[in-house]
Amino acid sequence: MDLARRMRIGALGAVAALLVGGCFGGRPAEGGSGGDGPIRIGVSLPLTGDFSEPGKGVQRGYEAWAKHVNENGGLLGRQVELTVLDDQSNADRVAADYERLINSDRVDLVFGPFSTRLVIPAAQVARDYGFLFVEPAGAAAEVFEQGFENLFYAAPAVAQDHYDHLAEAIIAMPEATRPRTAAYAAMDDPFAQGTANGLKEKLAEAGIRTVVDEVYPPNTTDFGSIAAKIADSRADVVVGGTQYQDAVNLIVALRQLGYQPKLAAFSTAPTNPEFPAAIGAQTEGILSPTGYTPEADYPSNNEFVDFYTREHNTAPTEDEANAWTTGQVVAAAVNAAGCADPSPECQRKLIDWLHGNEVQTVVGPLKWDAVGRPQGAHLIQQYVGGEIRIVLPADAEEAELVYPKPAW
Amino acid sequence: MSLVFQSLVLGVLMGGLYALLAAGLTLYFGVMRVVMIAHSAFLVLAAYLAWTFTVHTGLDPMLSLLVTVPLFFALGVAVQRLLVARLRPATLTMMSVLLTFAVALVVEGLLGFVFSGTHRRIPLSYSGARLELFGASVALVKLIAFGLAVVTLAGLHVLLKVTRFGQALRATMQHREAARLLGVDTDRVAGFGFGLGLATAAVGGTALALDSTIYPSLHWHWIGPLMAIIVVGGLGSVAGAAVAALVLGVGQNLLQLPLGTTWAQTFFYAALFLTLILRPQGFFGGRLAQRF
Repeated sequence: MDLARRMRIGALGAVAALLVGGCFGGRPAEGGSGGDGPIRIGVSLPLTGDFSEPGKGVQRGYEAWAKHVNENGGLLGRQVELTVLDDQSNADRVAADYERLINSDRVDLVFGPFSTRLVIPAAQVARDYGFLFVEPAGAAAEVFEQGFENLFYAAPAVAQDHYDHLAEAIIAMPEATRPRTAAYAAMDDPFAQGTANGLKEKLAEAGIRTVVDEVYPPNTTDFGSIAAKIADSRADVVVGGTQYQDAVNLIVALRQLGYQPKLAAFSTAPTNPEFPAAIGAQTEGILSPTGYTPEADYPSNNEFVDFYTREHNTAPTEDEANAWTTGQVVAAAVNAAGCADPSPECQRKLIDWLHGNEVQTVVGPLKWDAVGRPQGAHLIQQYVGGEIRIVLPADAEEAELVYPKPAW
Repeated sequence: MSLVFQSLVLGVLMGGLYALLAAGLTLYFGVMRVVMIAHSAFLVLAAYLAWTFTVHTGLDPMLSLLVTVPLFFALGVAVQRLLVARLRPATLTMMSVLLTFAVALVVEGLLGFVFSGTHRRIPLSYSGARLELFGASVALVKLIAFGLAVVTLAGLHVLLKVTRFGQALRATMQHREAARLLGVDTDRVAGFGFGLGLATAAVGGTALALDSTIYPSLHWHWIGPLMAIIVVGGLGSVAGAAVAALVLGVGQNLLQLPLGTTWAQTFFYAALFLTLILRPQGFFGGRLAQRF
């Protein structure tokens, strides 16, 4: 037999094996486990594609939570077991993943994926099966406009409310020093735009004039023109509804035009450890909302930070914290309802309990309105003396708000 | 008024950068009818090498050119000899799209593997430095990138017009068989032409890295506009691409004032469609593109 022929037969065999494997190799359905077996929790995460970085953070948070629970006697005396699928940051795939988790893997509970664009299709599937759906990252207004009553966002505030403490602080400033004009630049993304719009509405209502209001597509990398408009307006305040690279590029472009605002606030980017490496000493005075700080003095947070730091040799960030919070919220409901199985009765009990109660978490006490909006606001951080510190609200502050900000 | 002038200045600087980034694409197409989708992936690779160089040595990223330019030239010759030259001449243009698309994916994947998906920016002490020009600000980093573009394009022009290698390259561009009959080693010239194209990617990537945040998938944002530039300019014409880049860069920046960023981005594609409808050979390319 010559080589080519042998290879062809080999390839045919491999294809056949794959086909058979595909048809019969699937995991046998184990049936809705009640009883003493482990509680199986299904989750789909963007482990590859656009959201892979935060997706992996959420995965670390979920896994740390499961390990912590199992080391402390489990949930209802049963161990918890995570089934994690990769949705490749794809909205079609995430829906199929939750179908599979609920229908063929027959998990007992589900946890949400990362980001608004994936949370909505996933929550839809969970609702169709009557499942409780607690999610770590879907803060945009759209998430709460779909009429989901099974959804709960496990973080302190929705995007619109991220800047609430900053808005209050600005409005409370004495007339003489209070900023008069503001410029806004926001990415065309439900979350990023939501943060900037929330602040814009509140400041505009208080009489702070909007002089620039730019929206740019997510693929924008050149910010020269937007910066030119903002610099030309000489606005007292500049606000960026940003993710990461857009904030960095915009800040550098603004500096290149010699624009010096009295106050500069950007969402997401400044909390990224890479941000000071990119911007250098000019980070001084830049503000950013954050939903989490490892220093927060909630009892379960100290436990979380210790445990996580022991496991990973580094303190957790917001992604890990929100995942852990999701675990805490579901665990609280399970303990109160005394059940963890896929039956509609049990899932209903879990949902109803969360609608009526407050849960103590690593990001503080959480409670929700009828469509799952958490009723809090984000902390406001600022770079002070080269370090990022909490400056608002007053009862959580680590440093005083610096205003006007030093030149960048 | 000052805002319009500022935008004009920004547009000219950006046009210069575009011209530099697109220069290689015209060479590949001119010499071998190869549509090089991976060009922008190599730009990002060069940008990462410049970033690594600066972070590890603390020296200016421009010095990394001493290594990356020869490296990319060699890489270009290798890509042409080992991959592109194996495509059948009859389907070369079409197949080169697929082949270089695959190369782009490989480069992007390797960048993600080696450098992770974290967004990076070269820390430069002069990143915010600027000069005043009749009331407009000119960022030093953008001026340096523009200078690199001028030097590189002028060098390319002299190389093509004056040297024997340039003559051989142009002869190969114009008529491969005739060039071979006259004793030009067209295979060798094609390899060097490709290498030259990729060497411009080393310069372009470094210029890009001076004033942007880089990440492995960044190249997808660049390849569309760069392709539009070389079609508008006339496939295969370095000077045409440079003029098209300036016109499109200035146009986009000025249009951002009334239209906003979202609609201004469509300017490149509107120009592309209009060119294909009204003058498919491009505005400066002429003969070559007509044959394609």
